Amino acid sequence: MIPLLLSAEAEADAPFVTRLRATGTSMHSADASLVESDALGATFAGKSGLFAIDGATADDLDGDVVLVRPQAGRVERLLRSGSPHNTLLVTERCDQLCVMCSQPPKKTHDDRFDLLEQACLLAEPDTLIGISGGEPTLYKDQLLGMVERVLTARPDLRFHILTNAQHFDADDISRLRASLYRQVSWGIPLYAAEPALHDEIVGKRGAFAQLEEGFAHLIMAGARVELRTVLVTPNHHALPDLARYVAARLQFVEAWSIMQLENIGFAKGRWSNLYVDHRADFRPIGMALTLATLHNVRAQLFNFPRCTVPADFRKYAIASISDWKRKFASACEACREQSQCSGFFEWHPDDHAETCVEPL
Amino acid sequence: MSFLPLRSRALPDGETIFVNDSGRFFLGADGFVGRLIDGAETEGDRISLRAGGHLIEDADSLAFAAHRRAVARRIAPAAPLDYLILVPTLRCNLDCSYCQVSRVNIDRAGFDWSEETLAAVLATIDGLACDRLKIEFQGGEPTLRPDLLRAVMEKAERFAQRQFVICSNLQHIDDELLAIFDRPDVFISTSLDGDEVTHGRHRTKDAETTSAFFRNLRFIVDRYGPSKVSALPTINAATPPAADDLIDAYVAYGMDSIFLRPINYQGFARKRHKQAREQDEAWRSYYEGFIHRLIARNWADQDRVLEETYFSIGLRRIFQPGRERHVDLRNPNPMGYDYIVVDHDGAVYPTDEARMLARSGVIDLSIGTIEMGWDSEARELLNSHATNQFDPACMRCVYQPYCGRDPIDDLARYGRIDMPRHDTAFCRRHMHLFDLIFRLLYTDCEKVRYSLAQWLRLPSIPDSFGEVMA
Ligand code: SF4
Ligand code: SF4
Repeated sequence: MIPLLLSAEAEADAPFVTRLRATGTSMHSADASLVESDALGATFAGKSGLFAIDGATADDLDGDVVLVRPQAGRVERLLRSGSPHNTLLVTERCDQLCVMCSQPPKKTHDDRFDLLEQACLLAEPDTLIGISGGEPTLYKDQLLGMVERVLTARPDLRFHILTNAQHFDADDISRLRASLYRQVSWGIPLYAAEPALHDEIVGKRGAFAQLEEGFAHLIMAGARVELRTVLVTPNHHALPDLARYVAARLQFVEAWSIMQLENIGFAKGRWSNLYVDHRADFRPIGMALTLATLHNVRAQLFNFPRCTVPADFRKYAIASISDWKRKFASACEACREQSQCSGFFEWHPDDHAETCVEPL
Repeated sequence: MSFLPLRSRALPDGETIFVNDSGRFFLGADGFVGRLIDGAETEGDRISLRAGGHLIEDADSLAFAAHRRAVARRIAPAAPLDYLILVPTLRCNLDCSYCQVSRVNIDRAGFDWSEETLAAVLATIDGLACDRLKIEFQGGEPTLRPDLLRAVMEKAERFAQRQFVICSNLQHIDDELLAIFDRPDVFISTSLDGDEVTHGRHRTKDAETTSAFFRNLRFIVDRYGPSKVSALPTINAATPPAADDLIDAYVAYGMDSIFLRPINYQGFARKRHKQAREQDEAWRSYYEGFIHRLIARNWADQDRVLEETYFSIGLRRIFQPGRERHVDLRNPNPMGYDYIVVDHDGAVYPTDEARMLARSGVIDLSIGTIEMGWDSEARELLNSHATNQFDPACMRCVYQPYCGRDPIDDLARYGRIDMPRHDTAFCRRHMHLFDLIFRLLYTDCEKVRYSLAQWLRLPSIPDSFGEVMA
């Protein structure tokens, strides 16, 4: 696992964003250049003064865009250099309470939009930046403002924003039609075609109805949407119906990701109730993939190790897990499909991972 | 509450197919049809119609948005030019009885591209704004001019995604040609009418010419694998080969796709085959029998998927609009935009059929020249009639969302484009094709469903291909 949060000490008092340069000269006034380093850490100097980072070498950190929080004694690696998997957390507040939430929400909101915007502007060329929460659109105006300013200054960047899509209204349509939103895709969860079941899974009455409104606005805005469905026991057998629903009403989505459960957050404590062993009963998942494909919806499987998926459906199982939180079982060494495989989440129970793989 | 404008058609065996403007469909049994006519739908009917996107309630803004988008998706936009059909020479070393292209003998002068035409073709390639390019070399026999093929290919080197298809009779292959075929971006398209006897009848004629072709085809397939070559048969509806013989001929060379083309008599073929102006009932039953043979053989040997190209195009258009690009069947059918044909004399035509019509003296459908451009009045005129959207018959037809329009075919057959749609060969062919597809979609037979799933590139056989309202 690659640590994203390191301890740090800094001269400054207020939090600041900077890009770390271990080699060469600084290109940008927001860069910090290396002062000294050893195996345990590195010290940098930038316009906010000196700061020292523990637990990573200067080489590891070179090019990273970080948020230094002196009061907390922490540094967050917001955009890791060379990594295709960077996600910015804009709020921890949420108006849903999903049964399997991997990042349970908090009541308080720590507003960091300004700092995150500075970070985006320092991103490497052509980076895809993920945005998640909490529910980012609880702060819709700040969010859209940030996205628009960043993409105006940096048209090479792209955003992927996770949202429950319940806070868009008709007035947003013309705003979202702006051409810069071609660089933005929205990752939107939908768990079932049956309103009551969806509402139950997300822990919010009326969520389904509001979500349908949101989808209508997004269609009219020509928005790019990736639909996301986490597989849990309650929706396992409802997946074919969901596929029919998607084909009839949400055919506009660019992709439909069916995601295996993460053993973290709420799902950890509820694992035995929620986790579906897809090896034991793949049929509803397979039928959902078949129906989606029939109707021109690009379906994909996230977090399904390839060897656990029947061969006819293996092409749907993609390497979905971000590098920093991905692991493989020991037998995976010998597998020819490892580079196309999701592997497992770092926090997936080892005894399970070790026993379920069959190298291809 | 408001219904969508659902259209319906009674299928030959009694049930009724319903299709809405976006192309979503279902099958209605008699009970449902009766209730619908009487305005006596049950709450259950309404729930199903709503779920399928056939009934839209005022408050259902998602259904409205999804429907509007789906209707828009059915309308093919004209993409920028990225597909050139080039005829570097009209000369040919064969004289097939149904030659589509009005070829000239191999030793005639003045039927190859001039220096100026070549320069204009190359300049056109330089000016293309697309990032992928497909070039098809037709003839005549384009391999008579390998120098021209090379000049064009070199010019197209800058396109990261490029494909060159050389349509050749494969009569003669030498080292110079092989050097061209060796390129991974080169593909070969040829004609294969069946076994040696059938193939020889209209094409190669004498035994030596015939066996040269089969020798060369074998050589190419052995050297490059079957994915390098595709072939098209030309079928005389009066004397079609046995379906299995034709399939065997293709399977023998590892080719799984067979495009069963009825002869479209034009050019010299028009003069020699006067009797068969229309595809008749015989052709349609031959076609149907052929599809059923493919289904049976796919089931018997699941290691390969045999398909009839046009059937698959029609099938995929029902479910997957916009997924693939077919210039054969689309609506509108923009002409002279995303692809053009450049003849041996530099004249630009919207389609290869248009070129043949001009050559056979029926009507000049050229829209310009490669030197002077083709953004012409003739092109505008053709395009204003290149859609089925406003045709009174098509507007009432269940198959309109999947069907297309081909004014060139109308001109070829009837000399006019304002025929009542149902009286055209185009319409009869597509009505039959889609009737056949829908009958198969609602067949219980596992063998049929297996082939349909394969042709639709599905990972498994779906529970059903479409809803049924009982
Ligand atoms: S053996 Fe490991 S790498 Fe291979 S498919 Fe299974 S989980 Fe993936
Ligand atoms: S051409 Fe015939 S089959 Fe096609 S849409 Fe028009 S009426 Fe229907």
